[in-house]
This record gives sequence, structure tokens and C-alpha cells, in this order.
Amino acid sequence: MSTGLDVLTASRPRAVTARGAGAALIAALAAFTILGPLVIEVDPAAQDLSASLAPVGGDYLLGADHYGRSLLARLAHGARLSFGMAFLTMLTAAVPGILLGLVAAWRGGLAERAFELLANIVLALPGLMLVLLLLAFAPGHFGPLYLGLALTLWVEFYRVTRATTTSLLKEPHVEAAKLLGFGPAYILRCHVLPVIAPLIATLAAFAMATAIIAISTLSAISVGLQPPTPELGSMIVELLPYYAEAPLHVLAPAVLIVLLVLGLQLVARGEGR
Amino acid sequence: MNVATDMRDLSIAGLSVSGGAGPIVRDVTLSVRPGQPLTLLGESGSGKSLVAQAVMGSLPPGLTASGHIRLAGTDLLAAPAAVRRKGWGRTISLLPQEPWLALDPTMRIAGQVAEVHRFVHGRSAQESRLRAEENLAEVGLDRAGTLYPFQMSGGMCQRAAIAITHASDSALLIADEPTKGLDAALRDGVVERLKQEIAAGRLVFTITHDVAVAGALGGMIGVMLDGRLVDYGPAEEVLSAPTHPYTKALLAADPATWQRRVPTQAGAPVVTGRALAKAYGGRSLFEGLDIEVSAGEIVAVVGPSGCGKTTLGNILLGLAPAGSGTVERQGGVPPVRFQKLYQDPPAAFAPHQTIRRALADLVGLHGLSWGKAEALIARLRLGEHLLDRRPGEISGGELQRFALARGLLLDPVFLFADEATSRLDPVSQKEVVELLLEIVRDTGLAVLLVTHDGALADKIADRAVLLDRPAAWVSRRACDALTTGLAPCF
Repeated sequence: MSTGLDVLTASRPRAVTARGAGAALIAALAAFTILGPLVIEVDPAAQDLSASLAPVGGDYLLGADHYGRSLLARLAHGARLSFGMAFLTMLTAAVPGILLGLVAAWRGGLAERAFELLANIVLALPGLMLVLLLLAFAPGHFGPLYLGLALTLWVEFYRVTRATTTSLLKEPHVEAAKLLGFGPAYILRCHVLPVIAPLIATLAAFAMATAIIAISTLSAISVGLQPPTPELGSMIVELLPYYAEAPLHVLAPAVLIVLLVLGLQLVARGEGR
Repeated sequence: MNVATDMRDLSIAGLSVSGGAGPIVRDVTLSVRPGQPLTLLGESGSGKSLVAQAVMGSLPPGLTASGHIRLAGTDLLAAPAAVRRKGWGRTISLLPQEPWLALDPTMRIAGQVAEVHRFVHGRSAQESRLRAEENLAEVGLDRAGTLYPFQMSGGMCQRAAIAITHASDSALLIADEPTKGLDAALRDGVVERLKQEIAAGRLVFTITHDVAVAGALGGMIGVMLDGRLVDYGPAEEVLSAPTHPYTKALLAADPATWQRRVPTQAGAPVVTGRALAKAYGGRSLFEGLDIEVSAGEIVAVVGPSGCGKTTLGNILLGLAPAGSGTVERQGGVPPVRFQKLYQDPPAAFAPHQTIRRALADLVGLHGLSWGKAEALIARLRLGEHLLDRRPGEISGGELQRFALARGLLLDPVFLFADEATSRLDPVSQKEVVELLLEIVRDTGLAVLLVTHDGALADKIADRAVLLDRPAAWVSRRACDALTTGLAPCF
């Protein structure tokens, strides 16, 4: 009984459990964000002033906020917004980042220099400033917030893809594949992708965590999404004046943000091994 | 029987190393005495490195050693790990393989020697510095103390590593593949140094797969196969009258003992280079070089490390641009029929793909039949069961034969073998070369053989090109040795 499995669990128990816990957390939260708004038929914006700051566990499962809106419904919608937006932001950053990285590594020369310049310009600007700049055009809208975040996040994907692919393409097995007549598509699929895929997955999880925090932070300082949109960051700020009467109400959205980010970080950590 | 052993001996008795799946090394008994070094020969995976690691006390986790290892009267295996680690650099020192990787790249060489005196032996800073200078002078590096490893040649790094073991002044020196990746001149230099160590009375325990090194060091030779010591005795005896079939095969595999190949009738020129020149980093590798490889011909390019052999091959193959001159390939032949064999077989295959997948994709790409691949695999004496493994799970010799099979699928007219056998053990090397010769004879393949092994080139090449503009640090003697028996074509 003391064979392969023991060695496996002995050598990488922490990474495996961390990744498992992260995946379970993400799955649970994903179920909440996808199924929650469907199951809970309450409108997250419906006010019932008589139920203002209703306690947890009464008529409202997680209580109600100062306007008497169901916190459970608002949390489910808020999490869906954060999660969905983070996912979209990550995709928008990853796809061009990876493509530009591959082109730069493959072609080199002028293309690479142009992309490097672009990446350096973006890196030189503080990410937050870029987002604020874009938000100034359409305050409180989803579009510029998402675009600004994607613009700051693509650089990481580009840099990692370019650096890894550049050194990969110099390896003998790629040269051998070219000599054997294989084209760029095959080399990308069979020689490059298997190596960069786990790196990209890790970066993606980190990028989503960054996006979730950025969206909540910006909404909390009232430059991101505006009330009454159920957004986790703005929910915290809205409820903050009532923290003495209803501390759990303030804590709930904060805990949800922590769990989302924690799940993503744990998954990324497991994949990094 | 055990004669009264000198208190300074290293004696290994009944040593076994076991892992989770059972014993890997079984019942090895050896001894090293002052003036009588020990050399262990064997292919990679035969367990010779595990024996050395058991002596050092640096076995990988999960492996345990049993038996007795006595050094200067104390049983090393009985001592706890912490005590044994204290002996590193004091009673046992290791000469690492490929020392340019083992030296600290951020530290000047004198400091790396001095730190042994300062921190291992606890001497004062001043005294450590003086002693380090002495150690460097002993190996002829008295002017190199202020250099960083990247400013030194491979041979200088090797000597610096020896100076560091001098500084440790340990009774036992373990040399792990000390000549791996070195050309003939550097190899002879290392052997010379090790002989000086032996003459100075140190216990020297060497691991190698190079029979020539074992012969030059003398003393006792042990031959390992599959974790067992199959032959053990005085060097002259083992090398002149081997008893075990594997030892015989190992000795017969040395290119120096091969039969010279009868030159064949060459066909039409396949690749021709005219007035080729190439410079690298401001240093001219070669200029005005004319080379022609014809069908059915093996042309060797011989020269020490860093002389531009591989670059020349890549230029002929079209992988690298020539500085000046022209390369002409046989007209009407598609580019895929010009192939290359690489030095390090695992690096030449996509690491995530099984061999079956790689070959099937190639067959699919060129519209060939899988039957052709199967026929080649059988011809190169490769088992079907190997097909479902990944490149990292196959021995170097077998993988190199798969690389050959992969190239041969495309009916090549030209094959550039870039040190294709230099990382294989002698028995695998002989196998690969014999198969290659068979194919040349049958198909009229033109081969450009790049090698630093003069004996190999001498035995199998029709002609040889000597690139005799070696990097500044290689002695002229090496080049002279390489030319023996060769007729340079320029």
C-alpha cells in the first residue's frame, strides 16, 4: 500500500489541497452567482421601507438594507456582476495579450519592438489612472471601467507569453519540427501551447482576482458603478453609516469579495506548481 | 579476506540502495586506497551515481542505503545525516560534473576558493586569501583569481573546481563524470589533474562512462550494470581481459577499437558550400571554406568545442545564414529531405507528446502510411511498447534511434548529425552509428558528421574537414591529436 500514491501525496499535499479548496470555493460561488438570481425571485432594487435594516434570519434570510431591499438578492446579483465582469475583463485582456505575445515572439523585429513600446507605455501609466481617465468620459458606466481594466491587465499576458515563447522557439524540438515540414499552426498547438497553457491559467486567475478588487474599490469610492446597481463595493459604502445597528449587513458583501478572491488565488497557487 | 586495512582507506561492503519499488543497487563491494584509485564504469541508470551518493550521504529522498561504508575506520552509514553533512568539504569532497554550472556565477573565483578556507576550516580572512592564491597557483590559475566564471573557459572552470577541492583538503575526492561534455584536450587535462591527486595520496573515486578515462587513471575498475557490480579488478586486467559480456561490449564500443569503414563510391554532390565564412561576436570562425557532401558519403567536421562545427552544419542546412559564400543544394529535392540529428535527443522531441503521436502526426502531414513508420521502427530495433512513452521516459540511445526513424520517414538525401552520439554511453553510441552506416550503405544518404571525437570520425568518415581555429583557450596539441589519421580537405 505504500507505493505511488504515498509519494504523490507526500510530495505535493499542500498544492493539491489548496487547489482543491480553491476549486470547490469557486464552484460554490459560481453556483450562487448563476443560480442565485434565478432562484431568488425578489427584485434586488425593490424597496420596502418598513423592513429597513431587517435583521438576519427574519423575513429576509440575510436581512435587508436601509431601503428594505433584500440583501440575499442584492448579494447574488452583486456577485454575478463582479464575477462576470472580472471574467469578461480577463478574457479581453488575455486574448489580445496572448496573441500579441505570440506574434512578437514569432516575428520579432519591428512588430516586437512596437508591442514592447506599447506595453511599456501602459506599464508607465498607473493602472488606476488609466481607468479613471476612461471613466471620466462616461461616469458610472460599465463599459469604460471594463475597458480600462482590460487595458492595464493585458500587459502581463503579453509579457509572459512573449518571454516563454521566445525561448521555446529557440529549442531544438521546434527547429526539428520545422525541418520535418510542420507549419506554424502545428508548432503552436503541439510545442508552444502545452507549455504556456498552465502559465496562462495561473495569470488568468490572478487577473480575475485583481479585476474583482479593482471594480469593488472603484465603486466604493463612488467612481465605478453607481447605486442602485447592486455592486459589492458600493453596497459596503451604502451600508457603512449603519454599521453600529447592522454590522453583519456591512460585513456580508466584504466577505463575499474575500471568498471570490481567495478562491481564485488558491486555484492559481495550485496551478503554479 | 579482509587484510588489515589502512586507516585511510574507503571500503564499501555489501552496499545496497533501495527505493519504494525495491533495491536499485545490490550488494556492491569496493575499496579505494591511497595510490590505488577506483573508477566505476557503466551506462546512465546503471546505479553508479547512486553508489557515489551513498558514500557522500546525499541520496535522493525516498532512497535508503544498507551495508557498510567505512572511511578511515568509521562506518559512514551508521552516522546520522547531520554528522555526515559536517564531513562534506572536510573529509569528502565532490568534483562536480560540468563545473561551469556548479560555480557561483556572481562571485570572483578567488573568493570561491577562499570561502572554503574561511567558512569550512574557520581560518582568518587574511590567511584564507593567501591559501586560496596558493590553491589557484597549484592548478595554474594564479592570474585568474579576479575573473568571474562566465569569463573563464570550460577548462579553467574545471581547474577552478579542482582548486576548490584542494582547499577543502579532504581525504576522499569523488569525481562525478568529470569529463562529461569536454573535448579530447580538456578531457586529457582533467585526467592529468586527477592523476596528480592520486600521486599526492588522496583517495580518488571516479564515475564515468568513458573507458579511456578509466584506463588512464589506472587503479581498480568496477563495471556496473542494472545496479550490480558485474566486473571488478585492477584496470589492466579488466580492460585487457574482461570477463563479463557487458564489459566486453563496453570495450568493443570504444570507437578507437572499431574497424575502419571502407569508403564507398560517392554519387552526385548533394550539398555544396563555396567560400563560406562566418564570424561570431567579432571572432572569425572560418573563412574561405569549401565543402562538398555527395550521396552515400560521410563527411566529418572535426574540431574542439567552440570552433564553429555546428554553425557550419546549420549553414549547409539553411538554418543559419552564412557570413559570405554560397550554399547549393541538389536541385529538385524538397527541403524536408534535408534532416538533422541533435546532440541531446530528449531536447529534439516535443516534451508533452508521446512518440506515437509525434510519428503519427508526421505520417499524416506528409500523407505517408503508418506501415512505413512501423517498418522503420522494426529496422532500428525499437520496441512497439516504447511508442506510448514521452521523450523523457526513454533512454537516450533509443530516443536517438527514434529521431533517426523520424528523419528517415521523409527519405532524406542529406543528414546533418550534430554530435549525435556524444551524449550516449559507448554501447548505445555504437548501436546508433552502426544503424546509420547501414542506412548510408542502403539508401545513399549523404551524412555530415559533426563531432569532437577524432577516433569516431577517423573510423567512419570518408573525408574530414578540420576546423582548426579553436577558441583561444584550447591548446594546439588538441588539434594535432584530432588530425591524426585524417585528411583535411582544406
